[in-house]
Amino acid sequence: MSDGAAIETAGLWKRYDEVDALRGLDLKVPTGSIFGFLGRNGAGKTTTIKILLGMARPDKGEARVFGISSSDSAAGPEIRRRTAFVSDEKDLYDYMTVGEIVAFTRSFYPKWRGDLEQQFLRKFDLAPGRAIKGLSRGMRTKLAMLLALCRGAGLLLLDEPTSGLDPAMAEEVLQSLVGHVATEGATMFFSSHQLAEVEQIADHVAIIDRGQTVVSGALDDLRSQYQRIQLVFDADAPEIRVHAPGTHRVQRKGRVVTILSSSGGAAVLDELRGYRPSSFDVSPVTLKDIFLESVRTED
Amino acid sequence: MLWHKAWRETRWRFITALVILTMIAGSNVFEYLATVRLLAQLDQRAVDPVAQVSGLTAAIQEAIELQRTFRGFIWYQTFRQNLTQMGVFFAILLGCGGLLHESSKGSALFTLSLPVTRRQLLGARTGTGLAELFAISMVPPLTISLLAPAIGQQFSLIDALSHGVCIFFAAAVFFSLASFLSTLFGDLWRPLLITIGIACAIAIASFAVPQLGIFSVMSGESYFRTGSLPWAGFLASAVIATALLYSAAETVERRDF
Repeated sequence: MSDGAAIETAGLWKRYDEVDALRGLDLKVPTGSIFGFLGRNGAGKTTTIKILLGMARPDKGEARVFGISSSDSAAGPEIRRRTAFVSDEKDLYDYMTVGEIVAFTRSFYPKWRGDLEQQFLRKFDLAPGRAIKGLSRGMRTKLAMLLALCRGAGLLLLDEPTSGLDPAMAEEVLQSLVGHVATEGATMFFSSHQLAEVEQIADHVAIIDRGQTVVSGALDDLRSQYQRIQLVFDADAPEIRVHAPGTHRVQRKGRVVTILSSSGGAAVLDELRGYRPSSFDVSPVTLKDIFLESVRTED
Repeated sequence: MLWHKAWRETRWRFITALVILTMIAGSNVFEYLATVRLLAQLDQRAVDPVAQVSGLTAAIQEAIELQRTFRGFIWYQTFRQNLTQMGVFFAILLGCGGLLHESSKGSALFTLSLPVTRRQLLGARTGTGLAELFAISMVPPLTISLLAPAIGQQFSLIDALSHGVCIFFAAAVFFSLASFLSTLFGDLWRPLLITIGIACAIAIASFAVPQLGIFSVMSGESYFRTGSLPWAGFLASAVIATALLYSAAETVERRDF
């Protein structure tokens, strides 16, 4: 475990019944980053977040938040005092009103931001007297965000923060989050299925698959590192075997061969010249390409 | 604020229990007048109520004799029957629920994200429940003391408090059992039904094994008959309840959510 990371996990394993939810997950979230945490359903995203907050305990390995072990039950409250969490479902106490749950949550956080509370109540159009059970999913999400953002936390842990929201509301929530992180200097770690929104706001990403990290790093680095190489041949493309490291996928279709490389492409290109294609094309890839390639199931 | 949350989650159960048990105790006071009239009619006919009906047990005969006095009537009708039966039910109801039930409703993750330990969460819930249990144990007997003068009878505050304490200690066992089972099952029904089933089994078994007489502790039988509180029963109840609550805390501590 090293310094400078808001979150760090090493060799994290978690088994539920007969299923390995995590299989040696390694993760490092730099302090101050907006970190997108990606993976298919069941990849282990929510389990990871639960372990970070002490809601579940790993079978092996270690998770640290602000350098504090999340398995230490005595230290758990200290982690949670410095962390704001919004769950996927955004379920709150149905028997309370907006004002009551704000007052309830406020009582646990000495650094509660009363100014932000008032600001978000207005911005999100949340009336303190409204019963939570009567709120729409979108309004519940906004309330959950308010309860998270006003805690004065150094780390926001968000599990699918915009799930179930219409695009306009999702955008409003995202902008509020980004604005808050920029203003308060917090770290934001969020899981999402919405690759476009991750690409929009994240500066770091990790992609996990079957409980392991398969891609991790700064988004700009990943974009420059991953390239799509397309070769066009005069006749049907030959069968191509690339030995250069970082070659992820070789797809042959008629006269065209498409290769995804994560090593910058130079070594792959050198190797491919031996096949004498009629033309080369090297193009950047999107996060979606990287994601799909990383979590691709073997045919 | 955790206490406030626990109160908000249980208040309707508590208020319902308090109103029903207090009404039972209060109505029992006024039923005494009808019982007195019935017994007087039987006496005027010079009928031996036991001898006329073959096969009645000594227990029934005793029940009739007990109800000739207000104190005996109240003990037999209220503490031995109504408050014991209903008190156990409401104690179980107050013990059901908690973090695992919240988990099935979805709000447990919000609760668990707060900067408190699971023991604090369980402690607030248990403390609130026990305080409510204490109130529903004490208020009905005190209501009897309050209402008895209305029919020209007396039921001392000492008697009321003593019976209230007896109800509380015994009911705490069922409360704790329901609390423990609520750390194993996420729904309300299984802890409720299993604990009621166990209470019924104990009630039946205690006919054969008097040492299982938790209902005797709850009715304050030894206090009624001899004037001494069932200290051994209190101790046993406290030990069992503590063990169950400790097990509940350990279960919650180890559980993944």
